[in-house]
Amino acid sequence: MSLLRFDGVAIHLGGREILSPTSFEVGRGEFVCIIGPSGCGKTTLLRAAAGFVTPSAGAALRHGEPITGPSREVAFVFQDYGRALLPWRTVEGNISLALEAAGVPAAERPARIAEVLKTVGLAAHAHKFPVQLSGGMQQRVQIARCLAQQPELMMMDEPFGALDAMTREGLQDELARLVRDSGLTVLFVTHDLEEAIYLGDRVIALRANPTPEQPSLAAMIDVPIPRPREQLSTKEHPDFLRLRRELYQFLGHP
Amino acid sequence: MGALKLLRPWVFPAVLLAALETYTRTVGASSDALAPPSAALQAFWKAAADGSLWQATGFTLGSAALGLLIGAAGGLLLGIAFGLSPRAARMSFLSVELLRPVPSVALIPLAMLVFGFGLALEVSVVAFATFWPMLVLSQAAARQVEPRLLEVAMALGLSPTARVCKIIVPAMVPRLFVALRLGVAIALVVAVTVEIAANPNGMGYAIMIAQQSLEPALMLAWLFWIGVVGVAVNALALWLQTAVARRMGVVV
Repeated sequence: MSLLRFDGVAIHLGGREILSPTSFEVGRGEFVCIIGPSGCGKTTLLRAAAGFVTPSAGAALRHGEPITGPSREVAFVFQDYGRALLPWRTVEGNISLALEAAGVPAAERPARIAEVLKTVGLAAHAHKFPVQLSGGMQQRVQIARCLAQQPELMMMDEPFGALDAMTREGLQDELARLVRDSGLTVLFVTHDLEEAIYLGDRVIALRANPTPEQPSLAAMIDVPIPRPREQLSTKEHPDFLRLRRELYQFLGHP
Repeated sequence: MGALKLLRPWVFPAVLLAALETYTRTVGASSDALAPPSAALQAFWKAAADGSLWQATGFTLGSAALGLLIGAAGGLLLGIAFGLSPRAARMSFLSVELLRPVPSVALIPLAMLVFGFGLALEVSVVAFATFWPMLVLSQAAARQVEPRLLEVAMALGLSPTARVCKIIVPAMVPRLFVALRLGVAIALVVAVTVEIAANPNGMGYAIMIAQQSLEPALMLAWLFWIGVVGVAVNALALWLQTAVARRMGVVV
Protein backbone atom coordinates (compact mmCIF):
# COMPACT_ATOMS: atom_id res chain seq x y z
CA MET A 1 0.00 0.00 0.00
CA SER A 2 1.23 3.48 -0.77
CA LEU A 3 2.35 5.71 2.08
CA LEU A 4 0.47 8.75 0.85
CA ARG A 5 -2.46 8.86 -1.52
CA PHE A 6 -4.46 11.77 -2.94
CA ASP A 7 -7.81 10.68 -4.32
CA GLY A 8 -9.39 13.49 -6.32
CA VAL A 9 -8.32 16.06 -3.73
CA ALA A 10 -9.60 19.57 -4.47
CA ILE A 11 -8.97 22.58 -2.28
CA HIS A 12 -10.91 25.83 -2.24
CA LEU A 13 -9.69 28.76 -0.18
CA GLY A 14 -11.72 31.93 0.12
CA GLY A 15 -14.12 30.80 -2.61
CA ARG A 16 -11.34 30.23 -5.15
CA GLU A 17 -10.33 26.83 -6.45
CA ILE A 18 -6.65 26.56 -5.54
CA LEU A 19 -6.28 22.91 -6.47
CA SER A 20 -8.62 21.12 -8.88
CA PRO A 21 -9.26 17.39 -8.24
CA THR A 22 -5.83 15.79 -8.11
CA SER A 23 -4.87 12.16 -7.64
CA PHE A 24 -1.44 10.65 -7.07
CA GLU A 25 0.36 8.21 -4.83
CA VAL A 26 3.68 8.33 -3.04
CA GLY A 27 5.38 5.06 -2.12
CA ARG A 28 7.65 4.45 0.85
CA GLY A 29 11.17 5.76 0.30
CA GLU A 30 10.22 7.84 -2.72
CA PHE A 31 11.50 11.38 -3.27
CA VAL A 32 8.74 13.28 -5.06
CA CYS A 33 9.18 16.87 -6.18
CA ILE A 34 6.29 19.21 -6.87
CA ILE A 35 6.89 22.14 -9.19
CA GLY A 36 4.77 24.84 -10.67
CA PRO A 37 4.49 28.62 -11.03
CA SER A 38 3.57 30.73 -8.02
CA GLY A 39 -0.09 30.47 -7.11
CA CYS A 40 -0.50 26.98 -8.56
CA GLY A 41 -1.33 25.47 -5.17
CA LYS A 42 1.84 23.48 -4.64
CA THR A 43 2.31 24.71 -1.08
CA THR A 44 -1.40 24.17 -0.39
CA LEU A 45 -1.09 20.60 -1.66
CA LEU A 46 1.84 20.04 0.68
CA ARG A 47 -0.05 21.55 3.61
CA ALA A 48 -3.00 19.26 2.89
CA ALA A 49 -0.67 16.27 2.87
CA ALA A 50 0.70 17.41 6.24
CA GLY A 51 -2.77 17.90 7.73
CA PHE A 52 -2.69 21.71 8.01
CA VAL A 53 -5.42 22.11 5.38
CA THR A 54 -8.53 19.99 4.95
CA PRO A 55 -9.48 19.13 1.36
CA SER A 56 -12.76 20.60 0.11
CA ALA A 57 -13.39 17.45 -1.91
CA GLY A 58 -11.78 14.05 -2.37
CA ALA A 59 -9.66 12.20 0.17
CA ALA A 60 -6.09 12.65 1.35
CA LEU A 61 -4.95 9.36 2.86
CA ARG A 62 -1.87 8.23 4.75
CA HIS A 63 -1.56 4.46 5.15
CA GLY A 64 -5.08 4.35 3.77
CA GLU A 65 -6.45 6.46 6.63
CA PRO A 66 -7.85 9.98 6.06
CA ILE A 67 -5.45 12.71 7.20
CA THR A 68 -7.24 14.63 9.95
CA GLY A 69 -4.46 16.82 11.29
CA PRO A 70 -0.70 17.17 11.77
CA SER A 71 1.09 14.07 12.97
CA ARG A 72 4.48 13.44 14.54
CA GLU A 73 5.06 10.94 11.74
CA VAL A 74 5.08 13.82 9.27
CA ALA A 75 7.78 16.47 9.58
CA PHE A 76 7.46 19.85 7.89
CA VAL A 77 10.40 22.00 6.77
CA PHE A 78 9.21 25.56 6.21
CA GLN A 79 10.79 27.89 3.69
CA ASP A 80 11.19 30.76 6.15
CA TYR A 81 13.68 29.12 8.51
CA GLY A 82 14.16 32.49 10.24
CA ARG A 83 10.60 32.38 11.52
CA ALA A 84 10.31 28.65 12.06
CA LEU A 85 13.14 28.45 14.61
CA LEU A 86 12.67 29.60 18.20
CA PRO A 87 15.03 32.60 18.42
CA TRP A 88 15.31 32.23 22.20
CA ARG A 89 16.61 28.68 22.04
CA THR A 90 20.07 27.59 20.95
CA VAL A 91 20.59 25.13 18.10
CA GLU A 92 20.42 22.17 20.47
CA GLY A 93 17.46 23.73 22.29
CA ASN A 94 15.56 24.01 19.01
CA ILE A 95 16.21 20.37 18.22
CA SER A 96 15.35 19.39 21.76
CA LEU A 97 11.86 20.84 21.21
CA ALA A 98 11.02 17.98 18.84
CA LEU A 99 12.20 15.45 21.42
CA GLU A 100 10.31 17.16 24.24
CA ALA A 101 7.15 17.09 22.13
CA ALA A 102 7.62 13.38 21.49
CA GLY A 103 8.11 12.72 25.21
CA VAL A 104 11.71 11.53 24.91
CA PRO A 105 13.20 11.34 28.46
CA ALA A 106 15.63 14.17 29.24
CA ALA A 107 18.47 11.72 29.74
CA GLU A 108 18.23 10.42 26.18
CA ARG A 109 18.00 13.82 24.50
CA PRO A 110 21.67 14.91 24.39
CA ALA A 111 22.73 11.77 22.50
CA ARG A 112 19.91 12.10 19.97
CA ILE A 113 20.62 15.81 19.51
CA ALA A 114 24.31 15.14 18.95
CA GLU A 115 23.44 12.46 16.41
CA VAL A 116 21.21 14.66 14.21
CA LEU A 117 23.60 17.59 14.54
CA LYS A 118 26.35 15.36 13.22
CA THR A 119 24.13 14.27 10.34
CA VAL A 120 23.59 17.87 9.21
CA GLY A 121 27.17 18.94 9.98
CA LEU A 122 26.38 21.37 12.79
CA ALA A 123 28.09 19.57 15.68
CA ALA A 124 30.34 22.57 16.33
CA HIS A 125 27.43 25.02 16.58
CA ALA A 126 25.21 23.34 19.17
CA HIS A 127 25.34 26.24 21.62
CA LYS A 128 24.77 29.08 19.17
CA PHE A 129 21.52 30.96 18.78
CA PRO A 130 19.82 31.00 15.35
CA VAL A 131 20.68 34.68 14.76
CA GLN A 132 24.36 33.78 15.01
CA LEU A 133 24.08 31.37 12.05
CA SER A 134 23.95 31.90 8.28
CA GLY A 135 20.73 31.18 6.38
CA GLY A 136 21.98 27.83 5.15
CA MET A 137 22.94 26.78 8.65
CA GLN A 138 19.58 27.89 10.04
CA GLN A 139 17.82 25.76 7.45
CA ARG A 140 20.02 22.81 8.46
CA VAL A 141 18.89 23.32 12.06
CA GLN A 142 15.28 23.09 10.90
CA ILE A 143 16.04 19.93 8.94
CA ALA A 144 17.83 18.51 11.98
CA ARG A 145 14.79 19.26 14.13
CA CYS A 146 12.60 17.39 11.65
CA LEU A 147 15.03 14.43 11.64
CA ALA A 148 14.97 14.36 15.45
CA GLN A 149 11.22 13.89 15.18
CA GLN A 150 12.03 10.55 13.43
CA PRO A 151 9.24 10.92 10.88
CA GLU A 152 8.40 8.52 8.08
CA LEU A 153 7.50 11.38 5.77
CA MET A 154 9.22 14.74 5.37
CA MET A 155 7.43 17.67 3.75
CA MET A 156 9.71 20.37 2.43
CA ASP A 157 8.24 23.68 1.26
CA GLU A 158 10.81 25.40 -0.97
CA PRO A 159 13.41 24.80 1.73
CA PHE A 160 16.32 26.19 -0.29
CA GLY A 161 14.41 28.93 -2.11
CA ALA A 162 15.84 31.77 -0.04
CA LEU A 163 19.46 30.61 -0.19
CA ASP A 164 22.24 31.58 -2.59
CA ALA A 165 23.14 29.17 -5.40
CA MET A 166 26.32 27.78 -3.82
CA THR A 167 24.67 27.05 -0.47
CA ARG A 168 21.65 25.61 -2.23
CA GLU A 169 23.68 23.11 -4.26
CA GLY A 170 25.59 22.04 -1.16
CA LEU A 171 22.38 21.46 0.76
CA GLN A 172 20.78 19.60 -2.16
CA ASP A 173 23.62 17.08 -2.11
CA GLU A 174 23.49 16.77 1.67
CA LEU A 175 19.73 16.24 1.59
CA ALA A 176 20.00 13.58 -1.14
CA ARG A 177 22.65 11.77 0.91
CA LEU A 178 20.76 11.81 4.18
CA VAL A 179 17.51 10.77 2.55
CA ARG A 180 19.30 7.85 0.89
CA ASP A 181 20.90 6.86 4.21
CA SER A 182 17.72 7.13 6.24
CA GLY A 183 15.17 5.79 3.77
CA LEU A 184 12.90 8.79 4.42
CA THR A 185 10.02 9.53 2.09
CA VAL A 186 10.10 13.14 0.90
CA LEU A 187 7.60 15.48 -0.69
CA PHE A 188 9.59 18.47 -1.90
CA VAL A 189 8.02 21.67 -3.26
CA THR A 190 10.14 23.94 -5.42
CA HIS A 191 9.73 26.38 -8.28
CA ASP A 192 13.15 25.46 -9.63
CA LEU A 193 12.92 22.92 -12.47
CA GLU A 194 16.53 21.81 -12.23
CA GLU A 195 16.29 21.32 -8.47
CA ALA A 196 13.18 19.17 -8.92
CA ILE A 197 14.81 16.91 -11.53
CA TYR A 198 18.12 16.77 -9.68
CA LEU A 199 16.54 15.66 -6.38
CA GLY A 200 13.41 13.76 -7.36
CA ASP A 201 12.62 10.18 -8.25
CA ARG A 202 9.48 11.66 -9.71
CA VAL A 203 8.34 15.16 -10.55
CA ILE A 204 4.75 16.37 -10.33
CA ALA A 205 4.08 19.54 -12.29
CA LEU A 206 1.12 21.71 -11.34
CA ARG A 207 -0.40 24.53 -13.34
CA ALA A 208 -1.98 27.71 -12.06
CA ASN A 209 -5.63 28.67 -12.70
CA PRO A 210 -6.95 25.17 -13.37
CA THR A 211 -10.03 24.60 -15.56
CA PRO A 212 -12.00 21.38 -16.16
CA GLU A 213 -10.06 20.89 -19.42
CA GLN A 214 -6.74 21.80 -17.88
CA PRO A 215 -6.63 20.40 -14.32
CA SER A 216 -4.05 21.34 -11.68
CA LEU A 217 -2.01 18.22 -12.34
CA ALA A 218 -0.17 19.10 -15.54
CA ALA A 219 2.33 16.28 -15.70
CA MET A 220 3.83 13.45 -13.68
CA ILE A 221 7.27 12.39 -14.85
CA ASP A 222 9.67 9.73 -13.59
CA VAL A 223 13.33 10.69 -13.31
CA PRO A 224 15.35 7.66 -14.41
CA ILE A 225 18.75 9.23 -13.67
CA PRO A 226 20.81 6.92 -11.41
CA ARG A 227 21.99 7.90 -7.91
CA PRO A 228 24.18 9.15 -6.40
CA ARG A 229 23.82 12.22 -8.54
CA GLU A 230 26.43 14.87 -8.95
CA GLN A 231 26.00 18.57 -9.62
CA LEU A 232 28.01 18.71 -12.86
CA SER A 233 27.64 15.33 -14.56
CA THR A 234 23.98 14.80 -13.62
CA LYS A 235 23.04 18.17 -15.03
CA GLU A 236 24.75 17.24 -18.29
CA HIS A 237 23.04 13.82 -18.42
CA PRO A 238 20.91 13.44 -21.59
CA ASP A 239 17.90 12.40 -19.52
CA PHE A 240 18.27 15.49 -17.37
CA LEU A 241 18.29 17.75 -20.41
CA ARG A 242 15.35 15.93 -21.96
CA LEU A 243 13.24 16.19 -18.79
CA ARG A 244 14.20 19.79 -18.35
CA ARG A 245 12.97 20.58 -21.84
CA GLU A 246 9.80 18.54 -21.38
CA LEU A 247 8.86 20.15 -18.08
CA TYR A 248 9.80 23.57 -19.31
CA GLN A 249 7.28 23.21 -22.11
CA PHE A 250 4.63 22.10 -19.63
CA LEU A 251 5.22 25.07 -17.40
CA GLY A 252 6.46 27.75 -19.74
CA HIS A 253 3.91 27.17 -22.49
CA PRO A 254 0.71 25.85 -20.98
CA MET B 1 38.72 66.64 30.73
CA GLY B 2 37.15 63.20 31.24
CA ALA B 3 36.30 63.93 34.88
CA LEU B 4 34.82 67.28 33.93
CA LYS B 5 32.55 65.63 31.42
CA LEU B 6 31.31 63.18 34.06
CA LEU B 7 30.54 66.07 36.41
CA ARG B 8 28.53 68.02 33.89
CA PRO B 9 25.10 66.37 34.51
CA TRP B 10 25.47 67.11 38.23
CA VAL B 11 25.89 70.86 37.80
CA PHE B 12 22.19 71.67 37.62
CA PRO B 13 21.10 69.61 40.67
CA ALA B 14 24.00 71.08 42.67
CA VAL B 15 23.04 74.63 41.76
CA LEU B 16 19.41 73.90 42.63
CA LEU B 17 20.36 72.45 46.01
CA ALA B 18 22.64 75.38 46.77
CA ALA B 19 19.90 77.83 45.83
CA LEU B 20 17.38 76.04 48.04
CA GLU B 21 19.88 75.95 50.91
CA THR B 22 20.56 79.69 50.58
CA TYR B 23 16.89 80.61 50.23
CA THR B 24 15.72 78.57 53.22
CA ARG B 25 18.51 79.99 55.40
CA THR B 26 17.79 83.62 54.49
CA VAL B 27 14.50 84.86 53.02
CA GLY B 28 12.46 81.71 53.71
CA ALA B 29 13.91 80.93 57.10
CA SER B 30 10.47 80.91 58.71
CA SER B 31 8.85 78.72 56.00
CA ASP B 32 6.68 75.84 57.16
CA ALA B 33 6.88 74.17 53.73
CA LEU B 34 10.55 74.23 52.87
CA ALA B 35 13.65 73.28 54.79
CA PRO B 36 17.34 73.52 53.94
CA PRO B 37 18.63 70.39 52.17
CA SER B 38 21.24 70.02 54.89
CA ALA B 39 18.46 69.74 57.49
CA ALA B 40 16.63 67.26 55.29
CA LEU B 41 19.81 65.20 55.09
CA GLN B 42 20.09 65.21 58.87
CA ALA B 43 16.46 64.10 59.19
CA PHE B 44 17.17 61.37 56.66
CA TRP B 45 20.12 60.02 58.67
CA LYS B 46 18.04 60.08 61.79
CA ALA B 47 15.23 58.11 60.16
CA ALA B 48 17.77 55.66 58.76
CA ALA B 49 19.44 55.27 62.15
CA ASP B 50 16.26 54.64 64.14
CA GLY B 51 15.03 52.11 61.59
CA SER B 52 11.78 53.86 60.65
CA LEU B 53 13.14 54.47 57.13
CA TRP B 54 13.71 50.78 56.45
CA GLN B 55 10.50 49.62 58.06
CA ALA B 56 8.39 52.00 55.93
CA THR B 57 10.39 51.29 52.76
CA GLY B 58 10.02 47.57 53.31
CA PHE B 59 6.28 47.85 53.78
CA THR B 60 5.73 49.96 50.66
CA LEU B 61 8.01 47.88 48.45
CA GLY B 62 6.62 44.63 49.83
CA SER B 63 2.99 45.52 49.24
CA ALA B 64 3.77 47.03 45.82
CA ALA B 65 5.61 43.84 44.83
CA LEU B 66 2.90 41.53 46.16
CA GLY B 67 0.15 43.56 44.48
CA LEU B 68 2.10 43.62 41.23
CA LEU B 69 2.67 39.88 41.42
CA ILE B 70 -1.04 39.17 41.86
CA GLY B 71 -2.19 41.75 39.32
CA ALA B 72 0.41 40.80 36.72
CA ALA B 73 -0.12 37.06 37.07
CA GLY B 74 -3.88 37.45 36.71
CA GLY B 75 -3.50 39.86 33.79
CA LEU B 76 -1.00 37.57 32.09
CA LEU B 77 -3.16 34.45 32.36
CA LEU B 78 -6.33 36.15 31.17
CA GLY B 79 -4.36 38.06 28.52
CA ILE B 80 -3.02 34.81 27.06
CA ALA B 81 -6.51 33.30 27.11
CA PHE B 82 -8.06 36.33 25.41
CA GLY B 83 -5.18 36.63 22.98
CA LEU B 84 -5.50 33.03 21.84
CA SER B 85 -9.28 32.74 21.85
CA PRO B 86 -11.08 35.41 19.83
CA ARG B 87 -14.35 34.16 21.32
CA ALA B 88 -13.17 34.77 24.90
CA ALA B 89 -11.89 38.20 23.84
CA ARG B 90 -15.26 39.12 22.34
CA MET B 91 -17.13 37.90 25.41
CA SER B 92 -14.97 39.87 27.82
CA PHE B 93 -14.58 43.02 25.72
CA LEU B 94 -17.41 44.98 27.32
CA SER B 95 -16.50 44.10 30.90
CA VAL B 96 -12.87 45.00 30.31
CA GLU B 97 -13.66 48.32 28.67
CA LEU B 98 -16.07 49.24 31.47
CA LEU B 99 -13.79 48.28 34.36
CA ARG B 100 -10.42 49.30 32.96
CA PRO B 101 -10.93 53.09 33.04
CA VAL B 102 -12.00 53.08 36.73
CA PRO B 103 -9.23 55.00 38.51
CA SER B 104 -7.64 52.51 40.89
CA VAL B 105 -7.51 54.97 43.79
CA ALA B 106 -11.30 55.34 43.57
CA LEU B 107 -11.33 51.77 44.84
CA ILE B 108 -9.70 52.73 48.14
CA PRO B 109 -12.98 53.33 50.05
CA LEU B 110 -14.41 49.99 48.92
CA ALA B 111 -11.15 48.14 49.62
CA MET B 112 -11.07 49.76 53.09
CA LEU B 113 -14.53 48.43 53.88
CA VAL B 114 -13.63 44.97 52.66
CA PHE B 115 -10.11 44.59 54.01
CA GLY B 116 -9.75 47.25 56.73
CA PHE B 117 -6.41 49.03 57.14
CA GLY B 118 -3.21 47.16 56.43
CA LEU B 119 -1.42 45.08 53.88
CA ALA B 120 -4.48 43.56 52.17
CA LEU B 121 -5.96 46.99 51.45
CA GLU B 122 -2.84 48.20 49.71
CA VAL B 123 -2.12 44.94 47.88
CA SER B 124 -5.64 44.75 46.50
CA VAL B 125 -5.59 48.29 45.07
CA VAL B 126 -2.12 47.77 43.56
CA ALA B 127 -3.24 44.46 42.08
CA PHE B 128 -6.29 46.13 40.52
CA ALA B 129 -4.19 48.96 39.09
CA THR B 130 -1.55 46.67 37.55
CA PHE B 131 -3.98 44.03 36.33
CA TRP B 132 -5.40 46.09 33.45
CA PRO B 133 -2.25 47.21 31.64
CA MET B 134 -0.89 43.68 32.02
CA LEU B 135 -4.12 42.21 30.60
CA VAL B 136 -4.25 44.54 27.61
CA LEU B 137 -0.53 44.29 26.79
CA SER B 138 -0.28 40.53 27.20
CA GLN B 139 -3.41 40.04 25.12
CA ALA B 140 -1.78 42.02 22.31
CA ALA B 141 1.49 40.13 22.81
CA ALA B 142 -0.25 36.74 22.60
CA ARG B 143 -2.03 37.79 19.44
CA GLN B 144 1.25 38.81 17.83
CA VAL B 145 3.11 35.54 18.36
CA GLU B 146 4.62 34.48 15.03
CA PRO B 147 1.97 32.21 13.43
CA ARG B 148 4.71 30.06 11.89
CA LEU B 149 5.84 29.06 15.39
CA LEU B 150 2.32 27.86 16.18
CA GLU B 151 2.44 25.71 13.03
CA VAL B 152 5.81 24.35 14.11
CA ALA B 153 4.24 23.45 17.44
CA MET B 154 1.41 21.69 15.62
CA ALA B 155 3.76 19.81 13.30
CA LEU B 156 5.88 18.66 16.24
CA GLY B 157 2.76 17.56 18.10
CA LEU B 158 3.32 19.71 21.23
CA SER B 159 0.59 19.39 23.86
CA PRO B 160 -1.54 22.51 24.50
CA THR B 161 0.23 23.15 27.82
CA ALA B 162 3.66 22.77 26.25
CA ARG B 163 2.54 25.06 23.44
CA VAL B 164 1.76 27.83 25.94
CA CYS B 165 4.85 27.28 28.12
CA LYS B 166 7.42 26.59 25.42
CA ILE B 167 6.24 28.68 22.48
CA ILE B 168 3.68 31.34 23.35
CA VAL B 169 5.00 32.72 26.65
CA PRO B 170 8.68 32.85 25.58
CA ALA B 171 7.65 34.50 22.30
CA MET B 172 5.77 37.12 24.34
CA VAL B 173 8.66 37.92 26.67
CA PRO B 174 10.04 41.03 24.91
CA ARG B 175 6.58 42.64 24.95
CA LEU B 176 5.87 41.42 28.47
CA PHE B 177 8.87 43.34 29.73
CA VAL B 178 7.37 46.56 28.47
CA ALA B 179 4.26 45.66 30.47
CA LEU B 180 6.30 44.70 33.51
CA ARG B 181 8.24 47.99 33.59
CA LEU B 182 4.99 49.90 33.22
CA GLY B 183 3.49 47.76 36.00
CA VAL B 184 6.45 48.40 38.33
CA ALA B 185 6.03 52.16 37.95
CA ILE B 186 2.27 51.97 38.47
CA ALA B 187 2.62 49.67 41.49
CA LEU B 188 4.95 52.06 43.30
CA VAL B 189 2.83 55.13 42.56
CA VAL B 190 -0.39 53.44 43.65
CA ALA B 191 1.17 51.96 46.81
CA VAL B 192 2.40 55.37 47.96
CA THR B 193 -0.92 56.95 47.02
CA VAL B 194 -2.89 54.42 49.08
CA GLU B 195 -0.62 55.16 52.03
CA ILE B 196 -1.05 58.91 51.66
CA ALA B 197 -4.83 58.62 51.29
CA ALA B 198 -5.72 55.90 53.74
CA ASN B 199 -3.34 53.24 54.89
CA PRO B 200 -1.40 54.14 58.07
CA ASN B 201 1.75 52.35 56.95
CA GLY B 202 4.74 52.75 54.67
CA MET B 203 6.53 55.66 53.03
CA GLY B 204 3.39 57.52 51.94
CA TYR B 205 2.09 57.54 55.50
CA ALA B 206 5.49 58.65 56.81
CA ILE B 207 5.60 61.64 54.48
CA MET B 208 2.05 62.58 55.58
CA ILE B 209 3.00 62.38 59.27
CA ALA B 210 6.06 64.56 58.65
CA GLN B 211 3.88 67.11 56.92
CA GLN B 212 1.18 67.12 59.59
CA SER B 213 3.67 67.44 62.43
CA LEU B 214 5.23 70.43 60.65
CA GLU B 215 8.59 68.85 60.01
CA PRO B 216 9.39 70.04 56.47
CA ALA B 217 12.96 68.72 56.74
CA LEU B 218 11.73 65.18 57.37
CA MET B 219 9.06 65.54 54.69
CA LEU B 220 11.67 66.58 52.13
CA ALA B 221 13.88 63.70 53.27
CA TRP B 222 11.06 61.24 52.56
CA LEU B 223 10.33 62.87 49.23
CA PHE B 224 13.98 62.51 48.26
CA TRP B 225 14.07 58.89 49.45
CA ILE B 226 10.88 57.90 47.58
CA GLY B 227 12.53 59.32 44.45
CA VAL B 228 15.66 57.27 45.08
CA VAL B 229 13.60 54.11 45.61
CA GLY B 230 11.70 54.79 42.37
CA VAL B 231 14.92 55.16 40.40
CA ALA B 232 16.39 52.04 41.99
CA VAL B 233 13.31 49.90 41.29
CA ASN B 234 13.22 51.04 37.67
CA ALA B 235 16.94 50.29 37.29
CA LEU B 236 16.38 46.83 38.74
CA ALA B 237 13.58 46.12 36.25
CA LEU B 238 15.81 47.32 33.40
CA TRP B 239 18.68 45.13 34.59
CA LEU B 240 16.36 42.12 34.80
CA GLN B 241 15.12 42.80 31.27
CA THR B 242 18.67 42.96 29.90
CA ALA B 243 19.72 39.82 31.75
CA VAL B 244 16.74 37.81 30.48
CA ALA B 245 17.16 39.15 26.94
CA ARG B 246 20.78 38.02 26.94
CA ARG B 247 19.82 34.57 28.15
CA MET B 248 17.24 34.35 25.36
CA GLY B 249 19.79 35.08 22.68
CA VAL B 250 18.92 38.70 22.00
CA VAL B 251 22.01 40.75 21.25
CA VAL B 252 21.62 43.84 23.42
